[in-house]
Amino acid sequence: MNGDDHRLQLDPRVTLLDALREELGLTGAKKGCDHGQCGACTVLVDGRRELSCLILAASAEGREITTIEGLAAAEGVLHPMQQAFIDQDAFQCGYCTPGQIVSAVSCVQEGHAGSDAEIREYMSGNLCRCAAYPKIVAAIRQARPQMERG
Amino acid sequence: MSEMIIPSGVIGRDTVRQEARAKVTGAAHYPSDMPVPNAAHAFLVTSGIARGRITRWRLEAAQAVPGVLDILTHENTGQESKPIPPTKGGGGSTTTLQSDRIWHDGQIIAVVLAESFEAAREAAHKVRVDYAEEAPAATFDSPGVEVQVLEETLEAHEDPRVGDAEAAFAAGAVTVDATYGTPTQHHNPIELFTTTCFWEGDRLTILEPSQFVQGLATTVAKQLDIAPNKVQVISPLVGGAFGSKGGATARTAWIAVAARWLGRPVKLVASRSQGFTIATYRAETRQRVRLAAGRDGRLQALLHEGWEVSSRPSNYNVQGTETTSRIYACPNVWTRVNVVHADRNTPGFMRAPPDLPYGFGLESAMDELAIALDMDPVELRRINDTRREPIKGLPYTSRSLLECFDAAAEAFGWSRRDKRPGSLREGDWRIGWGCAASYYPAKISAACARVALSAQGARVDIAAHEIGTGAWTVLAMTAADQLGIEPEQVEVHLGDSTLPAAGLAAGSSHTASICNAVAMACRELRERPTHAAVTANAGPLAGQDPAALRFEGGALRGEKGAAEPLAALLGRTGPMDAYAEHVPHGNPPDAPEKVKQGTPMTTGGAQLPDLIQYGFGAQFVEVRVHARTGEVRVPRITGAFAAGRIINPRTAHSQLMGG
Amino acid sequence: MRPFTYERAADLGAALAAGTVPEAARQHIRPEVQYLAGGTTLLDLMKIDVMHPERVLDIRPDAAAQPVIRSEEGGLWLSAVASMAQAAEHPAVRRDYPVLAQALQQAASAQLRNMATLGGNVLQRTRCHYFRDTAFPCNKRQPGSGCSAIGGVTRLLAVLGVSEHCIASYPGDFAQALIALDAEVEVLAPEGPRRFPFSQLHRLPGDTPEIETTLRPGELITGFHVPTLPWARRSLYLKVRDRESYAFALASAAVALDLRDGVVHEARIGLGGVAAAPWRAHEAEMVLQGQELTEACAGQAAEAAFAGAVAHDDNAFKPELGRRTLVRALMQAAAMEP
Repeated sequence: MNGDDHRLQLDPRVTLLDALREELGLTGAKKGCDHGQCGACTVLVDGRRELSCLILAASAEGREITTIEGLAAAEGVLHPMQQAFIDQDAFQCGYCTPGQIVSAVSCVQEGHAGSDAEIREYMSGNLCRCAAYPKIVAAIRQARPQMERG
Repeated sequence: MSEMIIPSGVIGRDTVRQEARAKVTGAAHYPSDMPVPNAAHAFLVTSGIARGRITRWRLEAAQAVPGVLDILTHENTGQESKPIPPTKGGGGSTTTLQSDRIWHDGQIIAVVLAESFEAAREAAHKVRVDYAEEAPAATFDSPGVEVQVLEETLEAHEDPRVGDAEAAFAAGAVTVDATYGTPTQHHNPIELFTTTCFWEGDRLTILEPSQFVQGLATTVAKQLDIAPNKVQVISPLVGGAFGSKGGATARTAWIAVAARWLGRPVKLVASRSQGFTIATYRAETRQRVRLAAGRDGRLQALLHEGWEVSSRPSNYNVQGTETTSRIYACPNVWTRVNVVHADRNTPGFMRAPPDLPYGFGLESAMDELAIALDMDPVELRRINDTRREPIKGLPYTSRSLLECFDAAAEAFGWSRRDKRPGSLREGDWRIGWGCAASYYPAKISAACARVALSAQGARVDIAAHEIGTGAWTVLAMTAADQLGIEPEQVEVHLGDSTLPAAGLAAGSSHTASICNAVAMACRELRERPTHAAVTANAGPLAGQDPAALRFEGGALRGEKGAAEPLAALLGRTGPMDAYAEHVPHGNPPDAPEKVKQGTPMTTGGAQLPDLIQYGFGAQFVEVRVHARTGEVRVPRITGAFAAGRIINPRTAHSQLMGG
Repeated sequence: MRPFTYERAADLGAALAAGTVPEAARQHIRPEVQYLAGGTTLLDLMKIDVMHPERVLDIRPDAAAQPVIRSEEGGLWLSAVASMAQAAEHPAVRRDYPVLAQALQQAASAQLRNMATLGGNVLQRTRCHYFRDTAFPCNKRQPGSGCSAIGGVTRLLAVLGVSEHCIASYPGDFAQALIALDAEVEVLAPEGPRRFPFSQLHRLPGDTPEIETTLRPGELITGFHVPTLPWARRSLYLKVRDRESYAFALASAAVALDLRDGVVHEARIGLGGVAAAPWRAHEAEMVLQGQELTEACAGQAAEAAFAGAVAHDDNAFKPELGRRTLVRALMQAAAMEP
C-alpha cells in the first residue's frame, strides 16, 4: 500500500475500497456507487488503474496498491497531475478528484492521452457530476508532457 | 442594512481554491471520511412496494446474522422521532418509521444496525416484510393521481397574471400553442447520502454533508424534541449536492435515535440506488405554452400552464411561472400551476434554478415563435427585451440579456447559420444550431459572521458551506480584500452549525449572502485601528482623515505614502474581532434570528416588493443526430453570462462550465 | 452479500495464463466452486444478493504472469484470463480481427477493461433492472416466479431469442465478435478439457431462463480459439448507444465481410443489445451471400435479421434501430480500405 506492507484480518467480503477507508485510514479513494460505475474508487493495482470497490481485499494480497495518497513523489511535492488539476481548476466539490487523478496518471502512462478526444474516451470511466470535464481534459493535457519528461 | 462592498484588489482576482491541495492529495475530509472510533454500521431497508401498509415483519433471519446489533422498525422505534416538518408553503410531508404506511417505492422502512457494514448489508437483504399492497399511481395519467390546481387549494400561492391573455391570444396575428414535457431528473452528486451520529451525554453531533447546517440541526432537534443547542452538525466539505443536501431528510433522525439506543456512534452510507428515493429529485413536468405576437414580433399574449408531479401530501412545486411570466415584455400574461399528487417521494429544489423546466418550455416556445415569424431567435429576444417586468411593472436592477446573446452569438459563429432545416450536414450527421436565454433569480439571505484580526492575519468563522462552488475561497478573498491582506493569511472555519448562522448554500445565493456578512464584520474591524491610528500622539497616520485611509498590502495607508503596518496597528489595540449580522434588501429585520433557527430566508428574484433581480445568460448549442441510427450528440455549447459582480473568476468560470 | 469461503489458486491462475493446465492444477476444478477473476460481474451481483456463491475460488493470475495471446494451428489463441485491455491492445488482434479489438475497446471503461478477463466477460449477466432487484419476481433468479419485465420497463431488453418467460438482453460486445468469427471456446472439466463452437456456449431462455450456458457446474473456460480468416481484416464493431462512451449497446453489429469487387463472397454478422444471447444473424448472412452489397441489399439482410423480432412496449424501437445499425455497419465495412 503506497510502498508499505500491511497485515489485516478481515471478513472475506470486505472490499479493497472499504479496507483502505475503514481499516487503513486512507480515505482518499471514495465510495460513489460501490458497483464499479462511477470511478471514484480508482486506485492503481500493480501499476494499472482498477476499481477498488469491485476488488476483494483478499484478492489484493500480494499486489502493489497505489492510492492518491501515494502519488506525490516526496513529502510536500505534488505529482505533475495533481499540480495540473490545481492549475486548471479541474474539480469543484472534489469528491471524484482522487479517482480522476489516479485514473489520469494511468491514462497517460497507457499512452491514451494523445488528443482531447482520446482523453475523453479513455477517461470515460470517471464520472464528475460537477461537470469539470473540460478542465480535467486540460489538466491531463498539461501534465502529460511533464510526466513524459520524467 | 447593506452597504456596497468596495473591492480593493483581491475581490475579482483569479484565486486558487483554499482547499485545492487537500482535494488533490486525498487529504480533504468529507463527513464519512472523518474517523469515528467504535462506530456501529447502519444499512437502510427500503420498501419494495409503492403504496400500502406494512402488515408484518419477519426479522428472524436478519437478526440471526452474526454481528447484528438491532433492527429499527416502526414497531419498536416509530415514536422516537417526529416526521420532518413540511417546508414553507409545501403542504405536508411523507413519513417513514413513524407508521406502517408506505408512501412510495424505496421509502425507508427499517434501519439495520451491526458491528460491520458487511453484516448490516447482509442482514438488510434478509429482512422480510409482508405488505397490504394497494395499486399505486406513478405519474401523469396513472389512474389514481390527484390533480390540484394550486391557486384553488393553497392560499399562499398566486399565479402571476396581467391583462387578458386569452383574448389577446385569440386575436394574435402569429401564434404558437405547444406542449412540452421534461423528465424526472436526479441530483446524483458523486458523494452518497451519509450520516454519522454520536452522543456525548445529551448532546448530539451529526456528521453529514449539508447545504444548510443550521436547518439540519434545528430540524433534527425538533424531530427528537430536544433543545436546538444540543445538536451540532459538522459538514466540513460536501461532495456535491445540487439541492439534495439542502433540507433535512428522514434518515438523519433515525441514525441519531440508533446512536442513542446503542450508546455508541452509528455510521450510515446509503447506497446509490437508495439515493433516488430517500431524498429529493426534480419531478417531471408537462407544460402548455401559448404565445401570440404581432408580425413585428412583439409578444401580445403569453400563457404558461404547468403540471408537476409531487408526493401525496406535499405541494412542492418549482415556482417556474414566477419567472417565465416576467422575463419578456408582454401586456397580457396568464399562468397556472397544477400539482399532480402521486405515490412518489417528495421532490425538492434541484440544480438551481429549480424552475428550469419551465424555462425550457418558454424558451422552446419562443424558438418556435421565431420560426413562425421567420425571424432570428436572437432578434425575437431583442424585440421583447424589457427593463420592467410585465406583471407589476417593477424595474430590473440590471438587465444584460441582449449583451449575453450578442457575445455568445459572436463566439459561437451564429452569423454563419443557415436556418433552413436539413441544410447543415457532415457525412452522416445532421447538424442543428439553436439558442436559448438563461435567467437566474438573484437571491440572497441574511447571514452572520465573525472575523478576527491579528498580526498574523485574519480568521473568519461562519456556518457557510463548501459544496464545490468555491465558498471557502470567496470568504478568504473577501476578508483579505477588506482588510488589505492576502487570502493565504485568512483562516476560514465553516461547515459547523455552532458557527454564526449563514443560511442555505443553494440557489446561487450563498456567495452574496456570506461575503456581505464578512464584509460587514470587516468594516467594523477596520474602525478601531483606524481611529486609534489617527488619534495617536505619534505614529505615521496621526491626524489624518480616517475616511481617506485604506487597508492595503498589509498596512493602513494614507496620504503621501504614510502607512502603518498591521502589526503596529494591532500593537495599539490588541487582536480584535467583530461580529456582524447582515440583513439584505428584501429580508425582514429579524431575518438573522430566523436563519439561526433554521428557517431559510433566501429571497430576491421576483419576490421583492419593489425590484426584480435576475442574472442572465444566453447559450448556443450545436446538436448532431446520426442520419441512420439517430444518436444525439452535443459537441459544442457556448454561453455568455451576466452574473453580477464576480468575486473569483476561476471558480465562477468552473461553475458556468459545469452547469 | 452473504458469507462465503474465499480460496486462492495461484497455480491455476498461472496455468490459465500460460495456456496449459497441468494435472496438479486441475484439482481446483470442482462443481461447487464459483470462479472469481476480475470480479466485475460477480462482486457487483453479490453485493445486491443476486448471486451468492458459498465457495469462491480466485483464479486471477499474479502480476508476473502474462496471459498468452498467440498464434496456434489454424488461428489465434486467447487465454481466458487475459484482460479485456490486453486483448484489445494486442497487435495481432487489432491487425487481423479489427471487430474483436473494437468490440473489446468499446466495452465498459478503461478501469473495467484492466480488471475484467475474457472468460468472465463472455459470462456476464443481463443488466435487466428486474433481474438486478430482488424485490421483483424474476424467472432467472427464481424459476417459475414470473417475469416482471414483461409489462414493465423494457427499453434495454431483447427482441430476438426471447420467450414468454424472459426477455432479458445479453449485454456483452466481445461475444458478438466471437460468434461472428466462428470462434471456439475451450473449457476445463474435472475429467479434462474440451473444445466446442462458441455459439454453443450460451442458451436462449426458452422455459428455463435460469440456465444461461451449457457449462456444467464447476467447468472453467480456459480460452478461445479464433480461426484464421484473412478477410476478417475487413471487419468492424458498431455500437449504438445513448452515450458516446461507457454505456451498454442499445443495438450493435459485429460485421466481417469477404468482399470481392463489391460482391459478398461471405458475410459474418453478430448482433448485440437486441438478443437474449450472443446472436449470429444467419438469415441476414444468407441474403447477402453472392450479392452485390448495395444499400438495398443490406436493407434486405437487415429485414431478414429481425423478421422474428418480438417487442414489448418501450423496446418497440429496437427492431428498427437494429436494422439500421446493421445496415450502417455493413456499408461502413464495405467502405473500408482493403
